[in-house]
Amino acid sequence: MILEQFPFLVHSSPVLIVVVPLMFALMTPVIGLVRRDWTFPWMVLALILATLFSVTALQDVMANGVIHYRMGSWAPPWGIEYVIDHLNGLMLVLVSGTSLLVAVYGKKSVEQELPGREVYFRCIFLLQVTGFLGIVVTGDAFNLYVFLEIASIAGYALIAAGEDGAAFASFRYVIMGTVGACFYLLSVGYLYIVTGSLNMADLARLLPPLYGSKVVLTAFAFFMVGIAVKMALFPLHLWLPDAYTKAPSAVSALVAPLMTKVSIYVMIRIMFTVFQPSFSIEFLPVTQIMLVAGIIAIFAGALMALAQKDFKRMLCYIVVAEVGYMVGGVGLANTVALRGTVLHIANDVVMTAGLFAVAGIIAYKMREHNLSDFKDLFKRMPFTMAAFVVIALSIIGVPPTGGFFSKWYLIQGALEAGSWLFVVALLSSSLINIILFFRIFEIGYGFRAGHGHHGEEAEEIAAIREAPLSMLLPLIIAAAAIVILGFYNQALMGNIIQYAVPVL
Amino acid sequence: MRFLSFLITLLTGAVLVYGTIDMPAYGDPDSPASRHVSPRYIEKTEEETGTPNMVTSVLADYRGYDTMGETTVIFTAGISCIFLLRRRKK
Amino acid sequence: MEFVIAKYNYWIYIILMMIGFYAMIAKTNLVKKVIGMNIFQTAIILFYVSTAYKLGGATLPILTDAQAHGHEAVEVARVINPLPHVLMLTAIVVMVATLGVALAILIHIYRRYKTLNEDEILKVLK
Repeated sequence: MILEQFPFLVHSSPVLIVVVPLMFALMTPVIGLVRRDWTFPWMVLALILATLFSVTALQDVMANGVIHYRMGSWAPPWGIEYVIDHLNGLMLVLVSGTSLLVAVYGKKSVEQELPGREVYFRCIFLLQVTGFLGIVVTGDAFNLYVFLEIASIAGYALIAAGEDGAAFASFRYVIMGTVGACFYLLSVGYLYIVTGSLNMADLARLLPPLYGSKVVLTAFAFFMVGIAVKMALFPLHLWLPDAYTKAPSAVSALVAPLMTKVSIYVMIRIMFTVFQPSFSIEFLPVTQIMLVAGIIAIFAGALMALAQKDFKRMLCYIVVAEVGYMVGGVGLANTVALRGTVLHIANDVVMTAGLFAVAGIIAYKMREHNLSDFKDLFKRMPFTMAAFVVIALSIIGVPPTGGFFSKWYLIQGALEAGSWLFVVALLSSSLINIILFFRIFEIGYGFRAGHGHHGEEAEEIAAIREAPLSMLLPLIIAAAAIVILGFYNQALMGNIIQYAVPVL
Repeated sequence: MRFLSFLITLLTGAVLVYGTIDMPAYGDPDSPASRHVSPRYIEKTEEETGTPNMVTSVLADYRGYDTMGETTVIFTAGISCIFLLRRRKK
Repeated sequence: MEFVIAKYNYWIYIILMMIGFYAMIAKTNLVKKVIGMNIFQTAIILFYVSTAYKLGGATLPILTDAQAHGHEAVEVARVINPLPHVLMLTAIVVMVATLGVALAILIHIYRRYKTLNEDEILKVLK
């Protein structure tokens, strides 16, 4: 749009998406030395630029087809290449847009929870966003590992700074996350040994004659296990509930929507671009296994969410169930289900960010995030709760919010593949979500007594008013976005998602 | 718990060893890795980058972007340590 | 038997990797887990580097003076593969960075719980 005036910027937008947050992150501690308050606009500026470049790149892809950008003008596979196609472009816009919203949202929250450390927080925040953007945009397998580690290390540090017990939760995440990343590195190494190349497009060309080779099979197995750890697929999800519950509110709102979905993107990329789809569907029964794993994850996540008294922990188990939807959607192995999965990734990023934002607002007001803290909140925080209701309806899957349409596509795909169990799983989890959220609505309207707050606390709570604007506005934008995604899902499907996934 | 961990370790090791069956032998000069991408690095390093050291030319020129990512990783780790460990003066 | 001897390098590194992996998941002392993580990642690095070697007296990937000035041609089969070495330079740095952050988290845990044993910490957290 605006950037078309400067063709150089449009041409370089693939690399600027990653480089701008990176350079801004490197400068953040310096600026913090001069004036601490300037780091916040600096961070927001970096993310606005990243979003701008992402949107430009997506428009370029929609107009002109796949973008190839060569680092240093070396042709792949001797150099590193950035490839942006429709799937990438959509993910880039999602990641940068969500980070921008969470960055604005997090200002007050960070000042309350991490006093004195805001400068470093913002620096690591930008580095984590750089990592996510780098994972999504790259076309080279080893470059992906480097940026995966940038994102992971930033995540370990941010999560460890949370409330009591966060450091131990983060340590568990370090161990499991390192196992996942090292398995990914091993699989890249195995593929390198038999092909000699690291570039994704080159591997896609060189691998088909080698599909029977035991090395390639082992590489694929390790890759899937490694990425399953990163995406918290049941039963490798054990790091997720503790880590995301105890992390600071702004960190949960950033990492929870993005880390798992970026890992799902990596899985889709490797399964359908590096390896041919027929490898996962006909050659090996990978998609059948994924379907079963997805169904188990949906049931496990939904049932465990029912048992939680802590709101944030309940949200973490909802995230586990959502990952199950997406893995199961890929496991159905037909075009409709794949399109539903990509649409669901888009919806889920916005929904999860919104839900964790609500949890953060409650934590900001009441220093804790239990279900009972919702008592009477509808009267005192009408806007927050209105946005919460909209997002909850989307998670349940009520039209016209976006959640309904992605579930609809997934159900269609499941019927086409004949997997009744998946349909049952989707419908039961919607039912369980209804129970979960209506329970909260009951507490919020004061129908059911939460555990009573007495005396001084009750006075403090009675004095609670609406959330500050900087925290409220991103939440309302998220709620509006989920409704817009619902209304425009046909446009999204027809213009972007249709080209993002292969026809199976 | 220990027995389960031991079992998982054995299983992982077994899968890795299974994978090595089809690998090229140790030091094979005809392996795919030695024939595909690296000959250009070896032959053209002086001509295209001006450095006689091939590892440097790949690290700093052909795959310089990975090196930038690597320095970012170190920076992230450094800032994280300050973020986590610095004691604030009361 | 020839199969084992021809690929003994891979087997050694796999054994090393599994020692590290077992330490990571089975030990209860947090420092031992971190050491296990280090061994695991080091073994992966050695695994990669060992694939760069070429038999027959191959030499370092640096051009000699004569080769640099164009008097002598470079024979690809006499020079080891530089690419795994480059990748592993990056991986070593990543490994050290992860180790640093893990140890920083451990110091944070120790300051709070005064112990580094996983079972005891879990008891306190419950």
